[in-house]
Amino acid sequence: MSDPIRGQTAICGLGITEMGKVYGHDASWFAGESIRLAVEDAGLNKDDIDGLLVNPGITGMMGTGISIPLQGYLGLRNLRLLNHMNSFGATASAMVQYAAFAVHHGMANYVACIFSDAPLQQGGSAGAAYGGAGRRGPTGMASLMPAFGFYGANTSYALAARRYMERYGITNNDLGRVSVTQRRYAVDNPHATMRQPLTLEDYHNSRWIVEPFHLLDCCLVSNGAVCTIVTTAERARDLKSSPAYVWGMGQGHPGNFPHAEVEVGTTSGATIAGETAYKMAGVGPDDVDICEFYDCYTYTVLRTIEDYGLAKPGEAIGLYPEDPADPEAELPTINTGGGQLSSYYMWGMTPISEGVIQARGSGGDRQIEKNDIVLCSGNGGTLDTHGTLILSPNAN
Amino acid sequence: MAYDKPLPSPDENTQPFFDGLKDHKLLLQYFPSADHYQYPYSDRCYKDWSTDWEWRESAGNGEVYTWVRMHQLYHPSWKAEIPYTLAVVQLDEGPRMHTNLVNVPVEEVHVGLRVKVAFDDVTDEFTLPKFEPA
Repeated sequence: MSDPIRGQTAICGLGITEMGKVYGHDASWFAGESIRLAVEDAGLNKDDIDGLLVNPGITGMMGTGISIPLQGYLGLRNLRLLNHMNSFGATASAMVQYAAFAVHHGMANYVACIFSDAPLQQGGSAGAAYGGAGRRGPTGMASLMPAFGFYGANTSYALAARRYMERYGITNNDLGRVSVTQRRYAVDNPHATMRQPLTLEDYHNSRWIVEPFHLLDCCLVSNGAVCTIVTTAERARDLKSSPAYVWGMGQGHPGNFPHAEVEVGTTSGATIAGETAYKMAGVGPDDVDICEFYDCYTYTVLRTIEDYGLAKPGEAIGLYPEDPADPEAELPTINTGGGQLSSYYMWGMTPISEGVIQARGSGGDRQIEKNDIVLCSGNGGTLDTHGTLILSPNAN
Repeated sequence: MAYDKPLPSPDENTQPFFDGLKDHKLLLQYFPSADHYQYPYSDRCYKDWSTDWEWRESAGNGEVYTWVRMHQLYHPSWKAEIPYTLAVVQLDEGPRMHTNLVNVPVEEVHVGLRVKVAFDDVTDEFTLPKFEPA
């Protein structure tokens, strides 16, 4: 049994800007490009947009990110829905969810959901762009973190990964199989930043960042923006581009409690979010054709696969070929655009944008033939927050 | 050479904790109504929302919950140490602490390793609660 809202709403427009080391523009500019592209993709006019939801990336924490003033910058004068949302990597799916309920109940007709970020500076490293945000001099017990030498999200996720790896006997070579697999998909993705093929040897030769993570275990940092426009299925049907119908939605937020009573590292919010979304969509893990999973790190993908019930705990790596660089190797239909590891890092909009492309069948050389059920995840904090979207090319 | 790594920055609420470290005591917040030890500092118990608590000294024993080797240089003062071992230690009282592991070769570090607190008087003013094998 599915929920009556299944297939009643859709993503009708998608705008993906140029991605990566694109300099000379701020986050508002990228947001403007993404909504222009999305409106054009949907075959709408600017004045049709009556809802705006925004999620700034790391620039939001630096004070230069997009927020409510984006309305004025874009000259959106017909808004009936407006908000700045942030549950980190889970936000993109949460924006689409909020938009879906709003259009379904008549609060708005076309809601633009935008993620935009521009942390990269010419001549600066990706590490400086992200690690720098945490260097504002914490006080109290938090000040012990830099005193011990803890810096950045890489460290937090590496800690979670280590626990998972030791518990299930997962090796660095296993993480490398995820990295190489995704790069093979990125080679065929014109939006992707990293399109040079990779081998496992390349993976092992990439420098350590925070062991167990090599450089090639870590996502990119990108300048760019993605806009998705959400409307009702009825409206979407008659627009210019094929709709990606929203079948299932869910959230699960375990938080992060540093205490013996809460396991960290081997669980995520996907378990709860996935169950909710599967129920709404009336599908289960066996029905999933394509996964677009939040992949801030290789490890996150394995964890997520298991929490959505697509493999038993510790067994997700079994879905990957021993040597994914082998042209004969059959790749799992997971992160089919290269993901955040190889294509672009737009927080939760990376998986959703590729999910829309796959549901529409517009993936070109990387298109997966069977695309009826596309499962997209968003993950924030260190596995603290989680959002799920299930998309389909079919209204029913 | 003078100690050049980042130093703690106690605030009003956590000053007793840092004073305790200086006396080689690891203090934890104890909330009696939920029989709950909590770390890091909060003015409220997340279990039952009680605001009634006291400092209690931890026995300083626990086990490695997880660990990593830091290779990336985020702050120049760590240059000579890289790679260094960072860990999350689960104290026997329940809370988990981020810390440094010391006096142990990296080959011997693993999840579940029993450890005890090792106070490191890094300056006259500050002591850091590091951990070493028990």
